[in-house]
Amino acid sequence: MKEPVEQTRAQMVDHMEVQRKTISELQTPVIQVWEGILALPIVGTVDSARAQQMTEALLDRITATGASVVLLDITAVPTVDTAFAKHLIETIAAARLLGTDVMVVGLTTHTALTLVHLGVDLEGVVTRTTMAKGLELAFDRLGLAVVRRAPLVDVAHP
Amino acid sequence: MSRIPVIRVEDVLIATVIEDVTDSDAVALQSELGHQLEARGAKGVLIDLSVVGIVDSFLGRVLAVVATMSRLLGAPTVIAGIQPAVAVTLVELGVRLTGVRTALTSDAGMRMLREGRVGRHVGRR
Repeated sequence: MKEPVEQTRAQMVDHMEVQRKTISELQTPVIQVWEGILALPIVGTVDSARAQQMTEALLDRITATGASVVLLDITAVPTVDTAFAKHLIETIAAARLLGTDVMVVGLTTHTALTLVHLGVDLEGVVTRTTMAKGLELAFDRLGLAVVRRAPLVDVAHP
Repeated sequence: MSRIPVIRVEDVLIATVIEDVTDSDAVALQSELGHQLEARGAKGVLIDLSVVGIVDSFLGRVLAVVATMSRLLGAPTVIAGIQPAVAVTLVELGVRLTGVRTALTSDAGMRMLREGRVGRHVGRR
């Protein structure tokens, strides 16, 4: 029989392990939003290790799905600095080598100004303010169009 | 004698870079493509890297040179089948291949050349 203190400690360690695993899984969700379109929402701070993991996950998904457009969403990146910009540019360059078009979405005035002040102008990278606008452009690239019409499914009684 | 054969399919020059490519192979490929483009010309050049798992800065530079040379000789180049690990290495080596079109597979690359979707992107950074 363990001491109560020991037991609590063991529980805490277990709990932390579960949290650590959850966080690492949350780090790089590459989402297929449409056939040929992948989205990579970047949440939180990005260090070198995470950037590398992110790039690898993205490149693997590109080869697995044959995607031709990638949307990098930086809405949830709290601070943009030179290190982040460098990682972003490298991820974009690597994805481009596989033959995909990469767009950066989720830019705010603040991020845009920060990038300008840092001297990173993301030349040649298509940028949009929202994921929706990026998706619209991605659809356009793939020759797809979203058309408004009456719904087929009754939302109240599916 | 080059160990990388250059074949002509539908007026596109296709070169499949071999797994154990050496520096001299890369240089031989460069001159072979140069000769063919000078002699007969072509609609495009497709360089397939799908079996290449390791690249160094020399090969990266030769690829960039070949692509620019071919463009100047009137044939846009598509580099196809770059493996994820190779893409990461090229970026780390500082080889961005700007102005060169890339495709996920040779099939996609051929389609790009056939539909003429390469020329208008040449020079885009």
